[in-house]
Amino acid sequence: MGEFRVIESGNMGRVAYARIAPNEDLVTGIEKLCLREGFDNAFVRGALGSLVDACLTNMDGNFTSIKGPAVEIVSLAGEVRTEDDGALVASLTGVVADPDGTIYGGAFVAGSNPICMTFEVTLEEWLPKI
Amino acid sequence: MNGASSYPGRPRTFKHPGRPNPVRIQSENSKKSRHVRLALQPGLSLFDAIVNSLAKINIENASLTILGGVFDNLDYCVAPPDPKKLSVIAYTKPIKAGKAYMVFGNATLGESMEGQPLVHCHAAIRTEDGEIKGGHILTQSCIIGSKAISALVTSLEGFKLVQSFDAETNIALLQPVRE
Repeated sequence: MGEFRVIESGNMGRVAYARIAPNEDLVTGIEKLCLREGFDNAFVRGALGSLVDACLTNMDGNFTSIKGPAVEIVSLAGEVRTEDDGALVASLTGVVADPDGTIYGGAFVAGSNPICMTFEVTLEEWLPKI
Repeated sequence: MNGASSYPGRPRTFKHPGRPNPVRIQSENSKKSRHVRLALQPGLSLFDAIVNSLAKINIENASLTILGGVFDNLDYCVAPPDPKKLSVIAYTKPIKAGKAYMVFGNATLGESMEGQPLVHCHAAIRTEDGEIKGGHILTQSCIIGSKAISALVTSLEGFKLVQSFDAETNIALLQPVRE
């Protein structure tokens, strides 16, 4: 599954919804949700919630920190894949709004996006044809 | 302070008013969900356009992706620290975006503590003044403009999203409950 195929055919499977609690990390929280629900691969179908602070990657390899609380998640797209070593990896990108409503966008850095009040996420399982 | 750095931010662990629930991920799954393309109708509030249309096909719990579209009126709020310290944050009073364009939104449909439909919606918007903003959308006072707005609905089957009091954060939150 680690090799990136140009076209991967498959089907959508189950749908999972979760509420993830404060101080859990957005990225690893979604990976742990997949562990709990037994999803090897999944797409984010919908997500909203708030972060204490947000941390996004820049194109130059640096990071942008957005101070809260709360930083609202207003858009989130992404997927979870099972790597060759068996590890689940969530790749998430999105748009957030700071406490003034100013928005920022980028990829969420694993371990640096603690949830503030709640995070609601809907995942759809992806079942590739092997 | 917001800004760029070569080191990702260390997460801050915030203390909430109540004792944390040891279960940090509350989840449920549906073996079969329905997907529906919904046209949110001109002149209706965003709340009514979602709730009333989906009620006709017996969808009371769902996750929605709202595609871009114009609103004749759009109100939102943001979530700064709670001045009364009852919770970590408190929503502000409504902020008027006027006749605004919703760039992209996500919404959850569930049930309020009073047993009524509840829509939780966050979105990025372009306000009447041309500013790009984001926040918590007040769906009952947001009026859809002259063109229908498309939404992709994923129904949640076999469990409900019910608003209930969360002791840790001291606010009412949507939580999944198996039927």
